[in-house]
Amino acid sequence: MNDPTRRRFLFSTGVTSVVLSACGFLGATARYLSPNVLYEPPHRFPIGSPEEFPPGTATFLPEHRLFLFNNPAGFYAISSVCTHLGCNVRHIVGEGFACPCHGSRFDENGQVVHGPAPEPLAWFGLSLSPRRELVVNTRQPVQPEYRFRV
Amino acid sequence: MGRTIFRVGWPRTDKDRAAAMISSLVLHIHPAKVQRHSLRASYTLGLGLTSAYLFGVLIVTGVVLMLYYTPHPLDAYRNMKDLQFVVTFGPVLRNMHRWAAHAMVVVVFLHMCRVFFTGAYKEPRQFNWVLGVGLLLLTLGLSFTGYLLPWDQLAFWAITVGSNIAGYAPGLGAEIKYLLLGGNVIESGALLRFYVLHCVILPLLAAMLIAMHVYRVRKDGLSAPPAAEPPPIEEMAPGRFPPSTRSYGLMALADRPAQPVVESEPDDEVLTWPHLLYREVLVLLAVLIALHAAALLFNAPLEEIADPTRTPNPAKAPWYFLGLQELVSYSALIGGVLVPTLLVLALVLVPYLDPVPRGVGVWFAPERSRANRIFAALASAAVALTLVGMFFRGPNWAWVWPWTP
Repeated sequence: MNDPTRRRFLFSTGVTSVVLSACGFLGATARYLSPNVLYEPPHRFPIGSPEEFPPGTATFLPEHRLFLFNNPAGFYAISSVCTHLGCNVRHIVGEGFACPCHGSRFDENGQVVHGPAPEPLAWFGLSLSPRRELVVNTRQPVQPEYRFRV
Repeated sequence: MGRTIFRVGWPRTDKDRAAAMISSLVLHIHPAKVQRHSLRASYTLGLGLTSAYLFGVLIVTGVVLMLYYTPHPLDAYRNMKDLQFVVTFGPVLRNMHRWAAHAMVVVVFLHMCRVFFTGAYKEPRQFNWVLGVGLLLLTLGLSFTGYLLPWDQLAFWAITVGSNIAGYAPGLGAEIKYLLLGGNVIESGALLRFYVLHCVILPLLAAMLIAMHVYRVRKDGLSAPPAAEPPPIEEMAPGRFPPSTRSYGLMALADRPAQPVVESEPDDEVLTWPHLLYREVLVLLAVLIALHAAALLFNAPLEEIADPTRTPNPAKAPWYFLGLQELVSYSALIGGVLVPTLLVLALVLVPYLDPVPRGVGVWFAPERSRANRIFAALASAAVALTLVGMFFRGPNWAWVWPWTP
């Protein structure tokens, strides 16, 4: 009855199981905090027919936070979200992009010229929907050579 | 009947005044007697007490503000307009909440400086300093989460910048940001999370930490006495309790039959009622008057409704994070994550890095001049960076002189 080894074994087994189940509960709660479904704007969305963006123009689409360019080689889309802390950059024709928050500057291709931004502005892939609308996919990163021809 | 509520009644003798302190749930946060040195306003400046009062004001005004507030992007801003223009005394309560929150950041910071410059974090108060650092962080967290709730441009872009800074934390940055916002963008999910953090989680944590902080203050004596005063414990006669600072000394001594209470009673103790209690009421009145004056004279800012498509130029974080934003404008990782983390770590470790119990209980003790100089340099750097962010940064975060139009 008074076997200290057995008592210690039972005691440590009990404590261990309590600690493990507490960890399990905490882990489950931590996982619970991370949502599985997001009711956020879609990552693929139509922005209008190609004719709405005449050649040689740069159009800012504020609701999608991107710039759509149409130059002789084709269409391309550059994100307006500064890679530093998420402010909207402004486009300055002939110079590139400027961020109002911390003064990061980017060239016409969205490459960092100076300032605290750690990465170039994101480029998004384009496609044409069956209804002949330009579609942007923000989960499809593309290189600055990318041009989309209609 | 009154005696069933207040067992002692209005105390007229010293014995009753001591009994009133001990028998009341609220008042027995105090000892029956306090040392005269802990009443000196020039020593504590009443900063800890003031921050506790501000926390109380924030709870009261915050709870009534909740009655007119819905944490949803479609309603939040309209609710703020209602509070500003429709609800009776709405602007006063909102202004009080806002200014008390700002004041609390300032007062808690000053309280920390006071405790440092008087060496009051030394034995036996080391861990209470750590609790205090936790309370400073909670104060900032409460202020920051409250900043989003009005859902105006100021709120939206301050939180955009702030939550993106969190994203730079090495390793788990993206996950922390995702958890904080409940998604990838600042939308209804983020507003709800900030609301729950601001109204439930952080105030509960703060209340618990305040309780522990105050309990330890009570157990260790209201404020650190000047170093020479208490005799070292090992020199005390066995079986005798150290007489001076500890507030439970009176009762603990009474339990020890060997020593009558009166003999080890230090001479410079006075009754808490009225000496401490009246001073505390006075500080409360001063805090309330100052807050009312601020609330009546200055309106809390409310800009246009949050517009994720239009970044104001410049987009500034809340003022107490402008030092951080200034650092971040050089490098997000070093300025936004490494420097603040190291600073907090250094603050937590202060009592353990500087354990020698010298120069305790006096302002700017010469024995501690090196520690004081290091702390003063860091604190001034933080203040200077904040001022630069507030007044010397204009559009595109370029340097401007505040007096040029």
